[in-house]
Amino acid sequence: MNYISLIEYLPYIFEGLLWSLALVLGGLGIGFTIGLPIGTMITYSDKYTKFILNVYIWIFRSTPLIVLLFLFYWGVFPNIGLKLSPLITSIIVLGLRSGAYQSEIFRGALESIDEGQILAAYSLGMSKIQAIISITIPQALRISIPSLSNEYAILLKDSAICFTIGVLEVLTRARIVSIATGIALIPYLIAGIILMMMTYIGLKFFHTVYKKTVIPGLIEGI
Amino acid sequence: MISDTILNVVDLHKKYGDSIALDGVSFRVRKGETKVIIGPNGSGKTTLLKCLNLLVKPDKGRIWLGNIEITDPRININKIRRKIGFVFQDFNLFHHLTVLNNVMIGLVKVRKLKKHQAYKKAVDALSTVGLDNTLYYKYPAQLSGGQKQRVAIARALAMDPVIMLYDEPTSSLDPQFVNEVLQVIRKLAKNGVTSIIVTHQIDFALEIADEIIVMHKGRIIESGRPTELLSNPQNILTKKILIRNFRTLR
Repeated sequence: MNYISLIEYLPYIFEGLLWSLALVLGGLGIGFTIGLPIGTMITYSDKYTKFILNVYIWIFRSTPLIVLLFLFYWGVFPNIGLKLSPLITSIIVLGLRSGAYQSEIFRGALESIDEGQILAAYSLGMSKIQAIISITIPQALRISIPSLSNEYAILLKDSAICFTIGVLEVLTRARIVSIATGIALIPYLIAGIILMMMTYIGLKFFHTVYKKTVIPGLIEGI
Repeated sequence: MISDTILNVVDLHKKYGDSIALDGVSFRVRKGETKVIIGPNGSGKTTLLKCLNLLVKPDKGRIWLGNIEITDPRININKIRRKIGFVFQDFNLFHHLTVLNNVMIGLVKVRKLKKHQAYKKAVDALSTVGLDNTLYYKYPAQLSGGQKQRVAIARALAMDPVIMLYDEPTSSLDPQFVNEVLQVIRKLAKNGVTSIIVTHQIDFALEIADEIIVMHKGRIIESGRPTELLSNPQNILTKKILIRNFRTLR
C-alpha cells in the first residue's frame, strides 16, 4: 500500500467534485425545465395529453439508469447522428430521468392547491394560463422545495453510475486511485466524505431557499 | 328590455347528473338594486350565483349583462367576468400574495394597469372596506376571517364591477367577525353598488334588500320587497324562513 501516492492523488479525486457537480446541477436543471411544464400539463390538460406524458414518465421512472445511459450513449444519440461526450450524454439522461420524477413532484404540489383560488382568478377575468402562471405555479414551486432537495440528494448518488460510460466523477476517480495505489478502502471513504459534504451543502441551500420563500402565517415553526 | 336593467336572467336550468340544481330561474336586476337570495341548503342559490359569471355553465337559459348576452358561446367570458365582482364564501384569497397584491393582481394582469395606477386603486378599495393600512403587507394566513373577507370584497371592488355577487359572505366566519363584513356590504349597497347577495342572515336580508328572492329545489318560489314578504308571505316555506328567523333574531 502506498499512502504517499494516495496523497498525491487527492487533488485528482477532488477534481471529480466538479464533474459530479456538473452532472447533478445539469441533471437537476434539465429536469426542472422538463418537469415543471410536464407536471403542469398533466394537472390541467386533457386525458390524451396526460396519457402521452404519463408514458414518458413511466419509461424514465421504470428503466434502470444504467440501461438508459447505455441506450442513449450507444444507441439513441449515435443513431440520430449526435456524437456527444460521456459527460454531456450523462447530463442529458440524468435530466430526462429527473424530469420524469420532478413532473410528479410538481403535479402533486399543483394538485394540493385548493381549486377555490383558481375560481377566484377566473372570477377576476384571468384566463386559465394566467391563473396557472400567476396563482398556482408560484405556490406549487414553494411546496415542491423539500421534495426537490430530496431529488438533489438522490441525483447526486445516482450520478456515480455515470462511471459506466466513462464519466470521471468522484467515485470513478476513487476507483481509479484505489487500483493505482492498491489501497482498497480509503479512496472510497474520501469520495464518500466529498459526496456527504456536497449533500449537506445542497440540502442547506434548499432549506435556506425554503425558509426565504415560505408564505408567512401558512406554516408555523420555520 | 328595461333600460336600467343591469342583469337579465331568463329560464336558467342546471343539472348535476340526475340532480336538478336550477329549474327555470328568471329574474332581473336594476342598476343600484340590492337583491338577496335566500332559501334552504341545496335550493340552488350558489349554483345560480356561479352561473351568473359562468363559473358554472348553465345547461339552458340566457343571461344578459347590460346589452351583452354572456351565455352566447362566441363571447369572451374573461372580458365579462372582470365586470362582475364575485365574493366567495371561503374568501379564496391568493395565499402567496400580500393583501395589497391580492387586490392589485387583477388590475395588473387583467386590466393591464401600470403598477402605480393599480396600487392607487387597490388602496382606494381597501380603504372603502375599512382595512387598516398596517395590514396591507400581511399575507392572508395572518388575517382574521373578517379581514380576509373584506380583502376579498376589495379585490372584487377594485375591478370596478357593474355588479357584485356575494356567495354566503359570512358563512365561514366566526360570529364575532360577521358584523364587520355585513357593515361593508351594507355600506356598498347604500352607495348604489348593484348587488346580489346569497345569505342565511335573514335579518340582514330584510334590512338591506330591495327585493328578496326565495328559492327552493332550483326554483324561485316567491319574490318581493322585504316588507311585503314579511307581512304577507304567499308561500308556506317563505313564511317559515322569514317569520321564524325574524322572531328569533328580534
